[in-house]
Amino acid sequence: MGEKRAEHGRVKRSAERLGRGLVFALILFLAWELAFRSGRWSRYVLPGPGKVAGALWTMIANGSLFVSMAVSLRRVLTGYLIAFVLAFLLGAAAAARPRWNDYYGPYLEFMRNVPPLSLIALLILWFGIGETSKIIIIVLASFFPMFLNIRKGFTSCDKKLLEVGQVCGFSYFRQFSRIILPSAVPDILVGMRIGLGYSWRAIIGAEMIAASSGLGYLILDAQQMSRSDKVIVGILAIGLIGIACDKVFGLLVSWVTHGGADSENI
Amino acid sequence: MKISENHPVECAGIRISGLCKSFLVDGMKLEVLRGIDLDLQQGEITVLLGRSGCGKTTLLRVVSGLETADSGTVKLEPGTKLGMVFQEPRLMPWLSVRKNIAFGLSKDETYWKQIDGLIAMTGLSGFEKAYPAQLSGGMQQRAALARALAMGTSFILMDEPFAALDYFTRQTMQQELLRIQQEEKKGILFVTHSIDEALTLGDRIAVIDEGRCRTVYDLRNQSRPRDLMSDAMIDLKRRILMDIGGETPQGDTSMR
Repeated sequence: MGEKRAEHGRVKRSAERLGRGLVFALILFLAWELAFRSGRWSRYVLPGPGKVAGALWTMIANGSLFVSMAVSLRRVLTGYLIAFVLAFLLGAAAAARPRWNDYYGPYLEFMRNVPPLSLIALLILWFGIGETSKIIIIVLASFFPMFLNIRKGFTSCDKKLLEVGQVCGFSYFRQFSRIILPSAVPDILVGMRIGLGYSWRAIIGAEMIAASSGLGYLILDAQQMSRSDKVIVGILAIGLIGIACDKVFGLLVSWVTHGGADSENI
Repeated sequence: MKISENHPVECAGIRISGLCKSFLVDGMKLEVLRGIDLDLQQGEITVLLGRSGCGKTTLLRVVSGLETADSGTVKLEPGTKLGMVFQEPRLMPWLSVRKNIAFGLSKDETYWKQIDGLIAMTGLSGFEKAYPAQLSGGMQQRAALARALAMGTSFILMDEPFAALDYFTRQTMQQELLRIQQEEKKGILFVTHSIDEALTLGDRIAVIDEGRCRTVYDLRNQSRPRDLMSDAMIDLKRRILMDIGGETPQGDTSMR
């Protein structure tokens, strides 16, 4: 009963929040329409909402928007998965051997401070403008936040909890799977979330510099064709997909931290 | 009044002999245990009593295997399985109470009926699915005790498990522990710095001071629940204080 009421309250609250969020969109939309109608700016500089909606509709109807989205998303997922596997393995190794940081630490710091996009000239030279260079960009963009957070998660495990496992007579593998890994999960998820955001940003940049498909290319192409309405559609799509990815991740996080690690309620 | 100070000869439980342990602190060798001899009987509560820094926790950690001794031995009766309850509950924050209690067991060792029995025995019924952060300190400590019992332990090491609890919760927990010990007949090694707690719980009280076992008091003849205001108990308290302090606490018979 109480639980149901709490559930109801939660739904109501999130609906209210959504409503408040839409207020701003409405104001923006009205201002946009008014600015457009005032005729102060040319249609090329500021296409009206109607024009943008029209472009959106055409791009949905002919499927070009979805194709671009799918291309960009596939690149992100491929690079992101590679980066995650690398970050997980190297992060675990780095946590197991903290002293090795003296050897690689400075270079890690160096690479972390080089924006992946600045490497694109070299990457194109080495790997061409195919998929490889883009996937490398994503790997570079998302590796560092994931690596650093995974390493932190594995090293910051509470020694007192490890002693509990020791008293239980756990093997090293069991210590890892039952104490170290679960206690690192929140940090790992934080890293994954940041990494996903970074790779999404990086792919758009990379596609604007060297690509013949994807959302970044869509925007660049529209710019060259003087179709600012399509540019705006592209920007909207990028932002919305970013939010959607983050939301999905947020749900995953709350599922894992509340129930996931302990989901089989027997 | 039958309070004897004899060191027991028989031993079915844990035999500690000649235990020495030192730590290096800032390059200085700090001797914590200086040759401890002690027999812990199965099915009894042995209390290690002493002031902070006397080495009682170190002794417990050596017995549990978390620390290794420099010299001396800890001999367990064959088949003895040790469990431990720490000063802090040390529950896994990502697991529910029920899973925390089954924590030490692998999947095929876990008999949920038995776990539920332990939950009932430790008074945690209704909180199985709660997470540690949602429980009070006393309840977390109950879960920690249940976790130690769940592993089929025959001997439980307890390191000031109730020290962080308030007075009333502490009283309750002491009574619960006695009740559970009566039911389960486990051996318990209980570390505390509270003389009252030692007198309430102990079948034997080993007074530890400066890394040595000063005296072992045998309280097996003292019926429970113990009246700490009784002459025997007050007298015993005075003698323990003398062991620890090394001087006669004149007129200090206050029991709290």
